[in-house]
Amino acid sequence: MRNALALLIVIVLAGLMMAGVSQLPPPGSPDGAVHRHVAAHYIDGGTEAGGAPNLVTAVLLNYRALDTYGEVVVIFAALVAVLAVGLSGHSRGPRRQPDELPVSPVVDRIIRLLAPFIALFALFMILEGHVLPGGGFQGGVVLGALLILLSLVLGPRRIRRMLPTPALFWTRAIAPLVFALTAIAGLALAGWLFALPEPAWLRELILVGLELAIGIGAALALVGFYLSLEADHHD
Amino acid sequence: MTEGLAHLDYIAVVILFAIGLYVVLTKQNLIKKIIGLNIMETAVFGLIVTSGMVDGGSPPLLGQGLEPPYASPIAHALVLTGIVVALSVTALALVLILRVKAECGSIELDELLEPDE
Repeated sequence: MRNALALLIVIVLAGLMMAGVSQLPPPGSPDGAVHRHVAAHYIDGGTEAGGAPNLVTAVLLNYRALDTYGEVVVIFAALVAVLAVGLSGHSRGPRRQPDELPVSPVVDRIIRLLAPFIALFALFMILEGHVLPGGGFQGGVVLGALLILLSLVLGPRRIRRMLPTPALFWTRAIAPLVFALTAIAGLALAGWLFALPEPAWLRELILVGLELAIGIGAALALVGFYLSLEADHHD
Repeated sequence: MTEGLAHLDYIAVVILFAIGLYVVLTKQNLIKKIIGLNIMETAVFGLIVTSGMVDGGSPPLLGQGLEPPYASPIAHALVLTGIVVALSVTALALVLILRVKAECGSIELDELLEPDE
């Protein structure tokens, strides 16, 4: 009965959305609103106005840098909340922490073999993200996935020991901190938030710095989520 | 009907969204509700990315010898932001569900809402 009601609601809603969607310009047509106005302006502005040849990075780190600042704050806040709710040490009974999870030797070998290459690729995506496809979040997620894989093979304790606690404390917050610094530096030097300074090399340096901060922050947030869930699971 | 087929991508996205919404509305298991939410999010991202695509276009990378027309960079940037927020929401929800399981012993909504005392 309840399911039938839900189905009815979903079908009516889907019908309304179909009607709405069919009025949009068909996907791929160049006269959609997404391609005129602002996007066309960004493409015309080019590297000069955007600060980065990869226009997605230009939108993220220059045109809409304030949005990205909010985004890194969201992921940092989620990490803090996960750590606060998850790992509050409400252990019931003896805590069992299997150090070596049963992983097939094939998986173990392959992950160990591929780890350096995955790390290199993640670094490449972060550092070249302003020129080629990629960027801080993408590279950071690859790095975080690598650390999660390694924690499956090596056991979560080894991964936890990789960064000392005081360093981890500040590195987790690196993305919001670097963004705040860049915003204030732009305000002080050029008069508006996130202004990129004039010499091209300095612009590039700031973009790479922002991407690195985003990448490290995203990787640590992913690992933090995973380790927190993993620790809770073994309680 | 041919007019409808031009919007095939959008229609697929709407169906995906409807599936996600149905899962969220009907499933009692909290984990399954989160999965439904993720399906809905995927549908929204799909809609935005599809709208940013252009026929015969190239990725919005300048200085790589690519020819215009370029795909819209705004759609990609917005979806990137959306994915990060969706990930954060999912992680937080999963931890809260683990906490609910630890405190109440169940993650089935109908069992949780049942007045047992």
